[in-house]
Amino acid sequence: MSLSAQAPRYRASVILALFVMVAAPAALIIYQSFLSAPFFDETARLSLEAYEFILSDPEFYRALWTTTLYAVGMVAVAVPLGGLLAFLITRTDLKGRGWLEPLVLVPMFLSSIVLAFGYTVAVGPSGFVTIAFRNVFGVAPWSIYTLPGIILIGGLSHVPTVYLYVASAMRRLPSDLEEAARTAGASIWRVSLDVTLPMVLPALVFSAALNLLLGFETFGIPLVLGDPNGILVLTTYIYKVNTIFGAPTYQVMAAVTVFLILITLPLVFIQRRLLRHARRFAAVGGKGARTNLLKLGSTGQVVALSIIGLWLLVSVVLPVGGIVLRAFVENWGEGVKLSEQLTLANFQRVFELPSLSRGIINTILLAAVGGAFAVAFYLLVGLAGHRNHGKTGTLLDYSVLIPRALPGLIVGLAFFWLFLFVPFLVPLRTTLFSLLIAYIIVGLSYGLRIIQATLLQVAPELEESARTAGATTFRTWRDVVIPLVRPGLAGAWAMIMIVFLREYATGVYLMSAGTEVIGSLMVSLLTSGAMDQIAALSFISILLTAIGLTLAMRLGAKIHD
Amino acid sequence: MINRRQFVLASAASATALGIGLPVRAQEVPAGYPADYKALVEKAKAEGVVSIYTSTDDVQGRPIVEAFQKAYPGIRVDYNDLGTNGAYNRIISEAAAKQVGSDVVWTSAMDLQMVLVQKGLAEAYKSPETSHLPGWANFNDTLYGTTVEPVGILYNKAQLASMKLPKTRAELLAFMRDNKDALKGKLATFDPEKSGTGFLFFSNDAKTMPDTFELVKAFGATEGKTYGSSGAMREKIVSGEHWLAFNIIASYAIEWAAKNPALGYILTSDHTAAFSRVANISKGAPHPNAARVFLDFLLANSGQSALASVGAPSIRTDVTSGLNLTKLTEMANGNLKPIPVTTALLEATEPKNRADFFRRWKEALRG
Repeated sequence: MSLSAQAPRYRASVILALFVMVAAPAALIIYQSFLSAPFFDETARLSLEAYEFILSDPEFYRALWTTTLYAVGMVAVAVPLGGLLAFLITRTDLKGRGWLEPLVLVPMFLSSIVLAFGYTVAVGPSGFVTIAFRNVFGVAPWSIYTLPGIILIGGLSHVPTVYLYVASAMRRLPSDLEEAARTAGASIWRVSLDVTLPMVLPALVFSAALNLLLGFETFGIPLVLGDPNGILVLTTYIYKVNTIFGAPTYQVMAAVTVFLILITLPLVFIQRRLLRHARRFAAVGGKGARTNLLKLGSTGQVVALSIIGLWLLVSVVLPVGGIVLRAFVENWGEGVKLSEQLTLANFQRVFELPSLSRGIINTILLAAVGGAFAVAFYLLVGLAGHRNHGKTGTLLDYSVLIPRALPGLIVGLAFFWLFLFVPFLVPLRTTLFSLLIAYIIVGLSYGLRIIQATLLQVAPELEESARTAGATTFRTWRDVVIPLVRPGLAGAWAMIMIVFLREYATGVYLMSAGTEVIGSLMVSLLTSGAMDQIAALSFISILLTAIGLTLAMRLGAKIHD
Repeated sequence: MINRRQFVLASAASATALGIGLPVRAQEVPAGYPADYKALVEKAKAEGVVSIYTSTDDVQGRPIVEAFQKAYPGIRVDYNDLGTNGAYNRIISEAAAKQVGSDVVWTSAMDLQMVLVQKGLAEAYKSPETSHLPGWANFNDTLYGTTVEPVGILYNKAQLASMKLPKTRAELLAFMRDNKDALKGKLATFDPEKSGTGFLFFSNDAKTMPDTFELVKAFGATEGKTYGSSGAMREKIVSGEHWLAFNIIASYAIEWAAKNPALGYILTSDHTAAFSRVANISKGAPHPNAARVFLDFLLANSGQSALASVGAPSIRTDVTSGLNLTKLTEMANGNLKPIPVTTALLEATEPKNRADFFRRWKEALRG
């Protein structure tokens, strides 16, 4: 018996509302790509000029190729590493799991601009690690300004995304299968590959597909690390095209964005095919399974801790160390004694500036309060799509991934226009609500996927038995589904909070005096090169996230469980 | 309890911004202004807000905003740093939606702002301060130059200690050619493809100096790197990753060199170009009177002093804090060549001219 026949009106109305929210900016961008001038310009007419321009521009093809390499490379780095870390921390008796987990997530707290900036200061050509290494070994044989360097850094920075998905799936797995395999003499690595891996496949597939999309949409890391060597990805190409024409050329930006959408739609299709049999992966039965942890043994502990330690060093200590250092000094590099350069001036400057201090407060509001709004919204949507194998379910899947295909900068721009030209939205334009709505759309696939993955873990038998006992669909959701997934919601909130805290591209076109946010302030400061303030703001951003997370955990919301 | 401290500091900062608890020496009518100016100020105060769209970041813009707040405590300043493209984009979009949000536009994109004037998005207003400005800084009493900022060289003293520093453009060219191998990857400059300011500098050079593309060619031969902002170049020069950057905003370079003994700057003595942050009042500004009062303040001695104190040299000759037009002309050996605020700025915005420039630029960059 299919549940999709139930509550069809609720499903249809929620999904249609969402579709409008998502399709409006996308439609505006697609429309804009077929015009000869900005859509609001009287001289604008239908034209293929923008497509002709990019298809005849060798730079575009190069950027397309680079972006593809970057996206694939990033997935190849992030997914195995993220899955491995999730397995070690959630399924084994690894020592220090409790405090390792927040550390593993650190790269998520940072906007990629900051991260790239941190790597530059640490392991760039004149980074403090590079200089120290050169002093000892005479040579520092690496360059982070190359495509492999950019891919590696991009991949490492996305490990936490994978980790979160996979870990939240792994926590729900009963341990009897793994234990049975162990009892039969399989090694811990065999167990992880042959038993655990297939069970968390949906989470891995989701995170791989999502990271592929993120890879195509990436902006901050290639912007900071790729520019000196002229390595362009599609988003930085969009950015560059602007200046080549001397004024914002929306039609060209839009045409490149349309290509991004075309690239990502097949990904969605593949993902849907893979998950058609989601039923197979249901793992939470009628009784809440308590899991027992796998014993690593002493050799296993050493190996596992070494893997995690190395990853932490490269992904957390280097960039964060770089940022911390840069935030407290004014000068650094060859021949500069850091101990003589320590200063608080960078922070003093930040607190003296009303826009920057306002930005800090707005960011907190948007992340904490806005994040809660977002989770509630995602849950409404998630339920509408839950066990929905009909047409609206398909529509939902595609709706969710459209904004992922749009670079944040472009989503922000489209919303800026919507708030400008759609009469009933006008009053909201200069309030934080305009940012919140754009953020909710940008974070949609993140937030919804994590909620959907959680919802999928509820065994259909439970829902079916409630329905058989005469409960309505709504009642089933209220009394069966939501209580079962509630722990997942707190995790989703924490995650969305992190996503909102580090968001930087979306607000660039949307924010105005009074609605500044830290991330977008960094972008505008980057334009004028105020690195001292960027470093100080990054540092504050990390602190805020740490405070927010501590608070969330104190309130009983563990990161995912 | 960093968090609490942040909040306290942040609220203190906001309070300051709101003009709470400040000792106020408000001026009713500045000296030498027409008698009816008082009425304008009253109207401006009734409007209560002035909204600025700018490319000058908050750090640099703060002194002028604070000075204005002190002079006119009844008028709140909404300061929007949107970058040059961001400001332009927002202005044309808002004009099309008939929801003008800017009172004063104040950016370093001289060409883009001249485009706005041509599109009829600027309001003419003859400021009482006009007589204190050089003729090249006033376009039709609509678009005003507010600063004079030289274009020059920033370098790392330690790295270039053993080399003879170039003092003129000709010497810079020779310096690059003679030390081609030693300077491999060690030079930087503004990227005209990524930055409107970079484009303004190089397209102006190409128009006024015959050796421009030779210079770019010599730079390309050293496999130099190009950047989208002066700040990014500063970072790389400080760290020693690059030794010298040319065609960067030298008013910043002068500030940085004063603060950091590792850095030096050069204004080439045979020719130093200078650009100007330009300001105009928006057509249909929501607070037209406050806009006028702010523009006047931007050009007045007090506003100009505030700007000059943070390294945006004054376009007036009577400002004593920081640098001004006279001092800079001396520093550039009498060869300071400001880019005039005229319709000639529009030439570089013609698609054909731009494409032409970039073709030559790319060719030269191959070395």
